[in-house]
Amino acid sequence: MTDLILQALFSGVLIGGVYALVALGLALAFGAMRIINLAHGELVLLAAYMAYLVESRTGLDPYWAIPLALVVVMAVSWALFVLVDKIKDHRELNSLILTFAIGIILTNAILLIFASDMRSTSSAFLQDAVSFGDLFAMRGEIIAFVLSVVLMGVLWWWLKSSWYGRAVRAVSSNRNAARLMGINPARIETVSFLVAGALASFAGVALYTMSVVQPATGHALTVKAFIITVLAGVGSIPGVFLGAVLLGVTEALTVTLASSALQELAGMVLFLLVLFLLPNGLFGARARRG
Amino acid sequence: MSVTSPATSAPVASSRFQGRGALLGAGLVILALLPLLTGASPYMLGLLISALILSGLALSWALLGNLGGMVSFGHAAFFGVGSYASALLAAKLGVPVLLAIPLGGVVATLSSIAMLPALRLSGPYFALAILAYAQIFRILATELDWLTGGAAGLQRYPGLPTLFGIDLADRAGSYVVVLACVVLFAVVYVLLRKSHVGTALRAIAESEDATRVVGVNATLLKSWMLFLSAFIAGVFGALNAHIIGFLEPDYAFSGVWSVMPIIAAVFGGYRSVLGPIFGAVVIYLFDQVIAKSLIPVGHQILLGIVLAIMVLLAPNGLAGLVRRFFTKGQFNKTSEKSHAGA
Repeated sequence: MTDLILQALFSGVLIGGVYALVALGLALAFGAMRIINLAHGELVLLAAYMAYLVESRTGLDPYWAIPLALVVVMAVSWALFVLVDKIKDHRELNSLILTFAIGIILTNAILLIFASDMRSTSSAFLQDAVSFGDLFAMRGEIIAFVLSVVLMGVLWWWLKSSWYGRAVRAVSSNRNAARLMGINPARIETVSFLVAGALASFAGVALYTMSVVQPATGHALTVKAFIITVLAGVGSIPGVFLGAVLLGVTEALTVTLASSALQELAGMVLFLLVLFLLPNGLFGARARRG
Repeated sequence: MSVTSPATSAPVASSRFQGRGALLGAGLVILALLPLLTGASPYMLGLLISALILSGLALSWALLGNLGGMVSFGHAAFFGVGSYASALLAAKLGVPVLLAIPLGGVVATLSSIAMLPALRLSGPYFALAILAYAQIFRILATELDWLTGGAAGLQRYPGLPTLFGIDLADRAGSYVVVLACVVLFAVVYVLLRKSHVGTALRAIAESEDATRVVGVNATLLKSWMLFLSAFIAGVFGALNAHIIGFLEPDYAFSGVWSVMPIIAAVFGGYRSVLGPIFGAVVIYLFDQVIAKSLIPVGHQILLGIVLAIMVLLAPNGLAGLVRRFFTKGQFNKTSEKSHAGA
């Protein structure tokens, strides 16, 4: 029994890395424009299907799909930004509905092109088991986790040190003050959406190498990413990572101890608990949502 | 609750209200005649019944969105609870169906009490919290199989009865029942919007803080809107359950019941009363008759495109376009800005 629980914890942490990438993309777009992009999970899904496309057509390892995924997903993310930016009235509400509509379009486009079957990598290299003492993982899971952690490090460095990264943080914390300092908010918003698209590309390809995807996965990923930002509070990369790991572990433990039918329920209950009991998230960011 | 005095009593406003009343009446007459206009074939009647069920659900969504200022991504929760509650009351306790249907609405309202803590959340947090509830309810309906029959579903429960010699279970009868409910709730909506409560809710939408300062209990009013919205959605869930005669969790709590009312209401214009009702009829028929024949699998892509175009180009929906057409030149900015329409 202990073995099973330890294994569940381990698997939960590994999937948590990818969840964190998905959630960071959502948080970045939210920080810049104060809107929740309800199509973000579908962007990740699009990248996953690019990986499937490359693998099934060329027989190459799915990670070779990253350039294609970056181009396609960043282009869609940019188009999404342009559309959302056109909304002038009741911006919060209408942007929710618009991104939701784009999510429906993307999900169904993927359904039309790739059919509703579940897809996962067929690479033997990625599916090989790796053992750490009593704990097992697929090689794909380990690679995806390492990739996620490295990308989080890069993102952290970018936000902290680069001019654009600091401008993104400035716009998120005070748009008008940032404008007075000579930053063009519209440009920074574009950059945020492009970076969010890039994160979604890596997350999607990584997800494809370690898990199964189907058209409905996109919506579920959006919800998970939102749950994580609620857990973490907005504004810290380590917080998002911990929130993502917490969600991954909760799901894995639910599957191990109860049943896989309850996996989503666990995430939702965790979400509602944090929302009502700790309105500022587990890690106490200042942003209020009430 | 204490409410500020009504601010609208100018003659212009009252004549506009009358015009709206006439439009509303005309719209409902069109709905009543719709089966005759479309040839009254059983197939068409069946489609129209489903379309009207969706009208009711869209009306309930729009009421929460327009008067309560809340976007819900989880109306499937109320719809599903209403349908299961009514079917179970009729099947297990022998409650007459026509009583079980409003009771289904009551149970849906009770279930919305669990969502009250979500009211203090704003915008996307509320929307997603409701989504979480809908998921939880669907999973509960699957897991509590001693009560609900679980994933296998529920089929042996009574349908609509015969009343005064009219068989409500046949398609024409069902159409009349559903239409009557749509009309009833449309009238309730209009009366509510004209009342002091409606004025207060409009003020809340403008500035919640300022409204609180003048003594309006905003949270209480918003919870009433949530209750009413849940009740309406529950009633239409119950109607649907007794008309189709079969329930399973994946159907009754399907995301379709959360998504379709949004599309229908936004398409028709969720700030009006007739908008969601006609939006639902148009969208449902478009989806079932045109979209499905064009694209058998994935036809929702067309709905997504319609929704995106409407939000971008006509955020007030069909109702807004119609109003702009009729009031061209008479009102300019002011009528554009007013929330309510026919």
